[in-house]
Order: sequence, then C-alpha cells, then structure tokens
Amino acid sequence: MPRPQTREISFTIDGREVRSPENIMLVDAAKHGDVEIPVFCYEPKLGQPVGACRMCLVEVEGIGKLQTACSTPVKDGMVVNTQTERVREAQQAVVEFLLVNHPLDCPVCDKGGECPLQDISFGWGGGRSRFIEPKRHFSKPLELSPLIAIDRERCILCYRCVRFSQEISEDYQLVLLERGAHSFVGTFDGHPYVGPFSGNIIELCPVGALTSRPYRFRARPWDIEGAGSVCTLCPAQCNVELTVRDERVLRVLARENPGVDDGWLCDKGRFGYQSFHSDDRVTEPLIRDGGQLRPVSWERALQEAASALARAGERTGALAGGQSTNEEGLLLSRLMREALGSGDLDSRAGGSVPLDLARALSAPARQASVPDLEFAHAVLVIDCEPTDDAPIIDLRLRKGVRRHGVALAVASSRPSSLDASSTLSIRYSPGGAAAFVAALDAALSGGEVQEPAARAGVPADQVNALAELLRSSASRPGHESDPPEVVIVWGERLTRGPGAEVAVRGLLNLADRLDMATTAGAGLLEIPEQSNGRGLREAGVLPNAGPGLSEPPAPGPGRGTQQIAQALASGELSALYLLHSDPLRELPDRGLWQRALAAATTVVAHTAFLTEGVREHATVVFPAESYPEREGTVTHPDGRVQRLRPAIARPGQVRPGWRVLAELSAGLGCDLGVRSPASASEALLASVPFYEGLTLERLAGRGLRWPEGDGARALPDADGGPFELAGESLPAGVRGNGDGTLALGGYRPLWAGPEVQASPALAFLSTDQRLELSPADARRLGIGDGQRVSVTVQDEAGAPEGEGAIEVTAIASMREAVPAGCAFMAESTPESSAHELIGPGRTPSVQVRPR
Amino acid sequence: MDKLLFADIDEPGLNTLDVYSRRGGYESLRRALQMTPDAVLAELEASGLRGRGGAGFAMGKKASFLPKGSMDKYLCCNADESEPGTFKDREIMQKNPHLLIEGMIIASYAAGINRAFIYIRGEYVLQADMLAGALAEAQAAGFLGEGILGSEHALSLVVHRGAGAYICGEETALLDSLEGKRGNPRLKPPFPANQGLYQGPTLINNVETLATVPAIIAMGGERYAQIGVENSTGTKLVSVSGNVQRPGNYEIELGIPSREIIYGLAGGPPEGREVKCWFPGGSSAPVLTAEDLDLPYDFDTMAKAGTMLGSGAIIVVDDSVAILDVALKVARFYRHESCGKCTPCREGTNWTVKMLERIESGEATPMDLDILASVQQQIIGHCLCVLGDAMAMPIGSLVAKFRPEFEEHIEAARQRAESPAAAVDTPLLRGAA
Amino acid sequence: MSPSVPRFAHGSRVPGWDDAADLDKDPAVIPEPSTTEVPDELRAEIEAHMANYPDRRSAVLPALAAAQRLHGWCSPQALDQVASVMALTPAYLASVASFYDMLETRPVGRHSIYVCTNISCSLCGADELFAALSEAAHDDPEINVRAFECLGACDIAPMASVDGVYVGPLSPDDAVALLRDLRAGGPVLPERQLVRRACADPQANRQDWPAPEALPGSGGRSAEEVGRAAGESEPESEPGA
Repeated sequence: MPRPQTREISFTIDGREVRSPENIMLVDAAKHGDVEIPVFCYEPKLGQPVGACRMCLVEVEGIGKLQTACSTPVKDGMVVNTQTERVREAQQAVVEFLLVNHPLDCPVCDKGGECPLQDISFGWGGGRSRFIEPKRHFSKPLELSPLIAIDRERCILCYRCVRFSQEISEDYQLVLLERGAHSFVGTFDGHPYVGPFSGNIIELCPVGALTSRPYRFRARPWDIEGAGSVCTLCPAQCNVELTVRDERVLRVLARENPGVDDGWLCDKGRFGYQSFHSDDRVTEPLIRDGGQLRPVSWERALQEAASALARAGERTGALAGGQSTNEEGLLLSRLMREALGSGDLDSRAGGSVPLDLARALSAPARQASVPDLEFAHAVLVIDCEPTDDAPIIDLRLRKGVRRHGVALAVASSRPSSLDASSTLSIRYSPGGAAAFVAALDAALSGGEVQEPAARAGVPADQVNALAELLRSSASRPGHESDPPEVVIVWGERLTRGPGAEVAVRGLLNLADRLDMATTAGAGLLEIPEQSNGRGLREAGVLPNAGPGLSEPPAPGPGRGTQQIAQALASGELSALYLLHSDPLRELPDRGLWQRALAAATTVVAHTAFLTEGVREHATVVFPAESYPEREGTVTHPDGRVQRLRPAIARPGQVRPGWRVLAELSAGLGCDLGVRSPASASEALLASVPFYEGLTLERLAGRGLRWPEGDGARALPDADGGPFELAGESLPAGVRGNGDGTLALGGYRPLWAGPEVQASPALAFLSTDQRLELSPADARRLGIGDGQRVSVTVQDEAGAPEGEGAIEVTAIASMREAVPAGCAFMAESTPESSAHELIGPGRTPSVQVRPR
Repeated sequence: MDKLLFADIDEPGLNTLDVYSRRGGYESLRRALQMTPDAVLAELEASGLRGRGGAGFAMGKKASFLPKGSMDKYLCCNADESEPGTFKDREIMQKNPHLLIEGMIIASYAAGINRAFIYIRGEYVLQADMLAGALAEAQAAGFLGEGILGSEHALSLVVHRGAGAYICGEETALLDSLEGKRGNPRLKPPFPANQGLYQGPTLINNVETLATVPAIIAMGGERYAQIGVENSTGTKLVSVSGNVQRPGNYEIELGIPSREIIYGLAGGPPEGREVKCWFPGGSSAPVLTAEDLDLPYDFDTMAKAGTMLGSGAIIVVDDSVAILDVALKVARFYRHESCGKCTPCREGTNWTVKMLERIESGEATPMDLDILASVQQQIIGHCLCVLGDAMAMPIGSLVAKFRPEFEEHIEAARQRAESPAAAVDTPLLRGAA
Repeated sequence: MSPSVPRFAHGSRVPGWDDAADLDKDPAVIPEPSTTEVPDELRAEIEAHMANYPDRRSAVLPALAAAQRLHGWCSPQALDQVASVMALTPAYLASVASFYDMLETRPVGRHSIYVCTNISCSLCGADELFAALSEAAHDDPEINVRAFECLGACDIAPMASVDGVYVGPLSPDDAVALLRDLRAGGPVLPERQLVRRACADPQANRQDWPAPEALPGSGGRSAEEVGRAAGESEPESEPGA
C-alpha cells in the first residue's frame, strides 16, 4: 500500500495564517498554530473519528452549522474560528451536558489532576450548572476485570474503550449496552474483560471511569515522576513511561513511538511492573553452601565465581537471556573469549544459523520495519504467534488489515489468533515449517511444490494459492504488474533444530523471489525468541560470530546452546554462566538440561528471580537489575537500537550487570576497560561496525534503526541466494498416525515468564497447562473437554538407560480449529512444560490418555 | 386529481402479481429498461420529486450523486417509518407491495445498482410478510435476479426486518443497523452516496418516494412536475391523526390549504372542539397553531412558517389537551429513542424530560422555562444527527407559543403541592434514572 | 399521565448499571463451536440469513429474532448459540440486542402486547388503554404488556400490536375481550384488525371492495408465521369482483 503523501497547505485559524499538512483533521491542524481544540472522543490511534462527544465544534467559514474539528479535514484556504461567541456557547453547552450526570467526585478520583474532563471543564466550560435534578448514583467502583475497575457514574460515554475493544484489539468483549441516556459500558453476562491488551482502555479513558486496580489510590499526579524507558519483557520492546513514586514504579504507561508500538502496551508490559518490587526478587549475592543458597558479600561471591570459572577456564559455557542489554552481551562475550578462552556462548534457544546466512538475513535491504507491516500489500506470518511472541506486532498487523487493506496470510501449525483477520491461513504439521518454506519457494519459482508441501503436511494448492496471493497483492486495475511490497514476519522458532539452515535458505529465497531487496517497504522481520535476541547476536553472543556478526574472535567458533547442554551433560564442559537465562524454564529439551545442570560443577547465574534451574543448580547467584534499574541499549527486531534509562534505584545490594561482568573479568585477570554505563555503551557502539554513527545522544528517546543509518554498509556482504533447497533433507512435519498418537507442537504463552508470576495483579492469568486438540481426536481418544489427561512420549533423546517414558499432565481443551492429528501445549511454564516433551527440532508423537 | 399511489388501493388481490400486472403493473419497468439509465435519471430529475421520508431532498439529484462505475453499489429502501404520526408507507407495503418493488427496480437500473434492501421496521410484521410474498412472485416472474426482462440489468432484493428503534429511520443509522450493528448514526461526510452500506456508494430512499417512481416513468417527469406547486411537485400521502374525526392516509396534491386536509378530509377535531395546535410533519416538526390552518401544505410554505412538511404526518391537538402533556409525551419519546452516541442529544433529551416532569409536579418556577428553552437551543445544531433537533425544535416551539399556559400550570401545580393534601411523589424525591 | 416505568431496587430504570463482572468467569470470547450446542433448526435459519448478505454480520438482527422465537428472549444461552454460528462474540450480540426494543434482554411472557402510547394514540386515550391491559394481564406471566413507541398505526388509535397483529381502535373496555381472544388462540378482535381497514381517502377506490379477512390468532405461533398465514389468506379475487 503506498504510504499517504502529504502536501502542505495554509489555512486561517482565529485570524492567523497557519501552515499544516493537507487533509489532517482540524483538531491536529490547529496545533500547528498553537490553537488547542478540546476533544474527548477523538483519538487518532483508534481509527476514523466518530464525532460523538461534540466537544470540538468550531466555525468553518462557508458552512452554516458548526463543524466537529475532529472530523473535518483541513483544506487550503480554509478559514476557521474557535473563539467566536457561537463556538464558545456550543462548547460550554457540551461541557454542561457532560457534567449533568458526572458525579464531580474529583477529590476521591484517581484521575484527578490528570483528567481531560477537569481540564476541559476549566478551559472551555461555563463554570456553572443549571442542572438541579438529582444525578444518577450507582455502586462504584465495580470490577470490570481483575485489573480494571469501572465507575459508571463518571463515564461520559465517549466510546473510546469500546472502540479499542472492537477496532484495535478486535476482541469484541467490551461493548456499549442499552441505548440513549441508559447506555453503559459493559461485557456479556457478567464476564470480565480479559485480553492481552485490556489495560489500554485505562489510558484511553478521558475521565476516571476506568481505573487501574493495582494503581488505585497509590498516588496523585503531584506525587509522581515520569521516567521514559523501554520495556524488555518481550521482543516488541515497547516504549514506556514509568510512573515513579519514592523509588517505586507504580504504573506503566505507553510512550508512543510510531516506529515501535503505536502507543499501545500489552497487559504483561503494563502490569508486570509489580515484579520489580516483588519480595521474590534476588537482592543480594548468594552462594551454594551445603546444598543451600546463602547470602554472602559481593566480594565473596565475585571471588567464588572468579575462582570457579578460572578452574573451569575454557571448559565454561555461557548463555545470555533476552533481558540482557547489548552492553552486557558484549561484556559477557569478552569475558568468555578473552578472560576464559572459551567460544562456547550463545543467545539462541534453538539451532544455530551459519554466519554467512545470518549476515544475509541482516542485510539492510532485506529488513522490514514495524511500520512496513501497516503499509505492505501483503504480510505473511510464518511460525510465529504475534499475540504471544511480540503482542504489539499483533495490533500493528490488525491495523494494517483494517485500515490499509493489507492482505494478511498466516502459516503456522497451531491455529492463530490472526486467522479471523487473514485472507489465507495455512496449517502445516508440527515440525513442518522448514518444508513449508521450501514449498512456498518452489511455488514462487515454478519449482516442484508437491514434494515439499507433502513433507510440510499442506495441500499443494494451498501453497500455490498463497504464492498467487503474495505475487498479485499489489495488483489493481491498471497496475497489474506493480511489484508487490511483501513483508514476511517469521519466528525464530523456525530455525530450531536441524532444519534451521534449510529454513533460512528458504527465507532468503522467498526474499529473492519477491524482490524484497529492491522493493521499498518490503522485507523480512524476525521475531526472536528472546526480548533482546537481535541485540545479543549483534553484540557477539553467538558461538560462530563476534560483535557485529564478525568472524568469531579467538578462540574461534565454539558450541551453541544445544551443544553446550550436551557437553555439560557429558562432562566436556564443567561450568556454565547464565546471564538472565534459566534453561530449565526457557529452553526446549528440559530433560537434557536437567542432566546438563546436574553435571555442571559450577553454575554462575545472573538473575532477578530464583526460577527452578537457578534455584536447584546455581552455585553462585548475582542479583540482577530489572529493566527500570538498568542503563544501556537493546536492539529491536527491526534493527532499532533503543536506550534503557534507569528510572528507580536498584534494590538491596543489586549491582549493575556491566559492573559485575567487568569486575568478574578483572578478577580473572582481564581488564575490560569499562568503568561506567556510558563507557560500556561506547565500547559496544565501537565494537559493532554497523552501529557506527549511533551515539547515546542520537538514540535519544525513540532510538534509531541501524539498517537505515550510515553504518549499515559495514555489515559484511554475504550471499543471499537463491539457494538450491535439497528435497530429501527437508525435515518432515509430524501428524498423528491414527494409532492414537498425536503430534505435539509447543507455543510460549504471553503469560509465561517469572515477571508475570511475580506480579500479583497478573497472577490470575497463569492457568493450568492445557492440551489443545481437535474434537475429532478427543472423541476418538475418549477425552472430554476440561478433562485431565496424561501426555506421554517415549524419550528418544539419549536418556540414560531405563528412564523410559516422560509424562506430563494437562487439561484437555477441545478446539475446532486444531487440525486432526495435532495437539498443542504451552512451553516455558514453571510446571508441566511442553519443553519436557519437545526438543529443539524434535516434534514428539505423544500418547494422550484420560487420567 | 388522479391517485397515483392509492388508486384502487383496496382492490382485493392488489398485493399479488396477478392483479398488479393486470392493472398495468411492471409496464413502467419495461418502459424504463428500453431507456438508457441516464434517460431514466433525467425523468426522475425532471419530475422534481422530493424525498418523502422527511428531509425532502430531490430524489433524482440524490440518485445522480452516485458515482458511475462497476463498484458494488447499493439501494436501500427506508421502510422504517417510525416518525410519530406517520403510517403512509405501511399502507403501500401492505396493500400494493409490487408498486414499491417496481419502483426499486427502476431506481436501481437508473443508478446502476445490483443489490437492494428494504429495511422495514420490525413492528410491521404483516407488511414485511406481504413484501416477502410479493418479492418471491417478482423473483419467479423474472423481474428480479439476473438479466431482468431480457435486459442486462440484475438486481437482488432482500427484505430486512428491523427490531424496534426509531433512530434506524435516520439513513446512516439504518446502514449501521443493516450491517448488523447498533443503529448509531454515522458522521457525515462521507455521505452514503459515496460511502454507505459496506462502504459502497448507496442510494437511500423512502418507500413513498420509490413507489412514486413507476408513475413518473409512466407519465413522464415533466407531466408529473405539473402536479402540485413550484418546488413541491406531485402528490403526497399525508397521515392525519390525533384529535380528528377521520384519521387516516390521504393522497393530496401538494400545495392545497392545510385546512382542507385537516377539516375537509380528516373531518377536523371532534364536535365542539377547536384546533389548539398541529404538527405539520410528524412530532419532530415545530407546531403550528389554528392561525396557520390556511397555509398551503407544501415544503416551502412550511419551511417559511418555521416548521417542516417532514414525512407528511399531521397530528392535530385540540383545545381539551394540556400542552405540557404534549411536550412531555414528545420529549419522553425522543429520550427513549436517542441512540446515546452524541452528548447534546443523549443528555439534552434526558434533562428536558426531567425539567418537564419537575414543571408538571409544580417544583418549578417560570425561570425554569427559560432554562428549558435555553437547553433546547443548546441542542439545536450541535448533534451528530437530527434526532436531538427533532425534540428540541417542537419543544422549543411549544414553550415559545404556549408559555402562558406553562406558567399557569406551574402556578397551579405549586399551589397544589403546597396544600397539605399534596402527594409527595415528585421527581426530585423519587431519584433519578 | 405517563405509564409507570418499572424501577430496580436502587432507583435505576436500567438493569446492568450496578453489575460488576464476575471475576470467576472466563472472558467471553467467540464460543468454541465444538463445545457449544446449537439446535439444528436455529443453525439452519441463521445460516440461511447469513447467505442473504455480502457480510454475514448483517444477519445479526434476523438471527437474534430467530433465537428469541426459540428461547423466548435473548438469553445468555441464546446469544451464545447465535455467537457460535456467526463467529461473533456474545458481547457484540448483547450490545446489539439491548439497543432494539423488540429484542428482550430479560425473560418475558410468550405473548406480547405492545400498546402504542405515543402522541397520536395518547391523544385518543392510549394511556388509559395501557393501564387497563396491564391491569387485566398483570397476573398472567405468559403475557407481556408493554408501552411502546409509535407503532405507525395512528389511524386506528388507540391501538395495540398483539403478537404482531395490529388491532384498534381499542377502548379500555376491550382489554378483557382482547385477552380472552388471545388466550383462546383464535383471531384477536377480528373486526378491529388493521388488515380489514380500508383506506381513509374517499377518492382512493372507485368502488367498495369487500374487506379482507381478519388474521388468525397467534395460538403460540410466531408473529412471522401469523403474518405469513395472513398473506396466504388474501383472496385472489378478480378486479371489480
């Protein structure tokens, strides 16, 4: 979709000539002349204006009736008056009407002091009311959900919240009920309004009708300070404004960045702040002493870690998790390579990607940005569930479909929440993602589709239909041969296991077939499994690459995640450094990791929470910062380098990660030369060639995309294909074979993660493990909806003799949309995780039995 | 004057294709299909036919606003007839449904439309069934569907039943309702002619307007324009109700004196009563008084008198009725029917009712009449659609024209309330809703 | 003069204002088809309606009307069933249902009597008629007497729509007979039905035609069926017969 071109025009407002872009709404155009027009219902983020509140009535010369400035596009030569008697009377009338039933209970209202209704009543109201009848009085506040309270007395029926539910998150749960003066905001039959994005309605509400239950009565606007940072709880890296009172984060608000989040937040990002102040936080160094983790001084802990790591030397492996900053990643890689002489470090959960392919994937010309999702002709989502993996991307995709007519296609094994918005949804068998990519490549290049499609478990005609959809998405009368702008959003999951290489080659082929490199607005967008997955790779936390995807520095290529686990289990490695990572919680093949951690002599963990792997196996624990305490940079999946800025002090004895790594390295006899957060960032920006030109100052509040910067040419060139995809080596998807087994696929729910568990407000969202299966399979297996079942797999991953089957219990959940022969379970849950059954690149066939 | 819409309206079986065709039905369609769509449009424009639903916009002009081209375009017949006092469309749909269907096919041909809907209010069960029956006959006879009567024109027509909401008679609310939503009016622009049903160009016309189309094609637009007076051409169905002796629908030539309708046709108020006031175009129209009875009944004269011809529904109130009761009835109706989307209408109708209730119970002073009048002014022209104005204009006119009666009532009610035997049931004490 | 409007305990006329969400319930998303049972006839009717429109959502009103005929009102279960067939959320349907007067969001009697109490009818005594009918039916839970806005039949004022059949003019004295006919299942006040009424315009007809038959009583049938039967019973007589 071509992006709108704007022309500048001039118009007159209150007697002054003002220049503004053409066709923007008068409300916004007026701001170019420093004129404020009051609004309640107008919120451009919500789509087309509705003109409901009537607050923005202004006089437009040549039109008899007053016009709503929120819905009148500005034209060249327009003459607008906002200060005439007629306008003033109309605005005062609307304020008077709005206050007719508003309780004016400002003294006890959470919104007081930051309330548009207060401000507009003061600025544009008549300052009196002639309404002497009794106002409505009702019970308040009422629970709308565990997170949100509703005060219907205060509601001015501006429609913002219901528009959000219906047009942004598209969950259609929050609606207006009844009619006229009786209208009220509610849900169906007393069900709570719960969804991944529900908290946005609190921020949208222009009065105190929707308030945050966790924030209720915690502070007044004059008690608090706002601090900008970036949420690192998932790869979407939304920009946030943290509300801080007395060194505590009390609230998280969106800090609109059109290049990242469009001004929305998910509920995990909005309410997960409670985990920062959780009693479960690790706030002092611990060492294992007699089987127990006991608090010790920093000196002791550093010394203990240094001597243990020195003993292990090059027999040390390291994993960095997604909350790590780029700087921490760089320092870790130097600690490992320079101080310990080990190249065994990784930040990828699944398989490794050869360096030349990683470079080709990162080539700026093949990169899509987040806004491209909105304006592309077509978007294909492969092996990724945006609501879970990077929720804000889900909203951006919906926006593209709804407002700009983007043709959306979804290819996944598990039914996607985007299916209803997509033109085409394709279900391949669990494990069949790489084969599906190969099949699509064949369809786009006139190759043989049947064979790879069969391996993926997808009818060939569906693949052909998808190819046709992508190819012709730009086509409209008169422009049949326009090159389509296609964006492919793909999940890192696609590169798990042995299929990684062929999957990446396939993706590069797709990019080539669709001319992404030469088409503006087209490209690939990878959603990594880790929040800062991209940044860590670029900082050099990879076994096969140094900072900036350079050739791996001395001691040369090392082991990746999976090999580290195997080497630990077999005793080839003896120590493990975990930077914000817990393999038991986060990584596939839990059984292998159990053995690996148990076999390791030394496990140094840098963590904020004692999740099971750390709790059971760490020998030294360094308390880690939460993101509002952290200073440094992270890199968004689309290459935007963003700054974290500290908003609150570190609790207890928590020290900054860069400092711990630097001190530890010094203790190992290697001075990394880093003395401050700024010097850590300088070292990072200097180490990654394509970050050239970026400075902390230039990154400022909204970050910069390095693929658009001057440094981008510093990325080493790599062959981008097209490649020959070997047919026989394509890993095939798995389907239940009618003997009672089902192919098990996994997904990581949004609500997985220790931050959710540690936030009391979000506790209600962690549910029991569910096994999603088709009604046909459920009937065949004699399983009813909601029944507890046991899911077992014969362990084939080299378990010690005699250990036999692995069993996990779950609650059966019938879903018509699940293809027969498949079942799905959540990963990364504290208990009964699908990771116990699923290995990287291994799709198990499971037996499901009623319990 | 020949009846164009009501000719032999009660003839048994007129609702069937058999009788309708025998009386020359669908001949206009045949004739129209021989013409070019533009020529049909030209006839409609020449007729001067103004919309019969209330707004009175020139029908041919409205149809000509639709963009040419092959995009999906829609025709919606507004059969929501909910304006209090209006019941003319009901009689057409019930007794002569093919007339409407024929008119719709011709209109759709003129505007290049292939999909049409009749949005009929849910309360009109019998009428919707009659339409559905006629539709089935027309379909079977090849008047609907692909290649109508051997031409290249195609039309599908669906009867869509509403479910009880006055606001759905507002054209954009009707579209929302037809799309399966709450019947909230939309912002204009964009106008339905550009972006209407399912975002496509949409022509919306009232039943009577569309039912007039076959007659215009049969007699020619220019001849039709000779009926009536300048700017108000043709015949009009008027629904006369309230305090009259012969309430009902009458097909009149526009421009005849109002007295002839109210007294001559409808028999005037009951024996011994006088006209106190009358709504010339449904309850949304500002009232006129007995002094205005000699005004010609046409669009322009009514507008000049500060009111409107609207849907052609004349409601007569005789001198036995208290004006306050009329005002309360009217205000309560609009409060009940306000969709609640925009502030002045939602809150203004609610407040107005509360003030009138207060006046009724004597808890008011004449100053409250000023507030009442001012609140009406605060509504007029500030709303998203015309519903708010539809209450504020008649209420404003009642207060302006009958202020002494309101004041007398306040005084009398106050005295009653102050007497020891007074009931304590007053809105202030009852609490609000 | 106004008919009394039922109020809820706290003084509100609006049900729902004071209701909090039940935090033990799951969010109401689109019902899972495999666990939502929908009667076959209802599913077929809704699917037929959906096929009539370019956008299936347009079938919401007819689908809700069908569900109401089956369930007696737009109950949570009815909404769930429609939601499942139409792939919409039940909240969306509740929002629509509560907007329209003819869709009942509370349980009501099987028979509905809508009494028009708008301006024209009330000028002719509709408020007294409504009071009389309410009084006569107050102890019968199967009969739902409602004051309704203008029903578009001011020529037979004051009037009522009895299960969709328009009758009038009525006086308070007719209440008993009306209810008797309704309970008996035959035509309700046959002589007073709108269908039998000729056009008021004296010049409309060139001759006196015989009046059409009255509509049969509802007898528990849907209003739509009653109307359809009426359509069929229209005599197809020769012109001038």
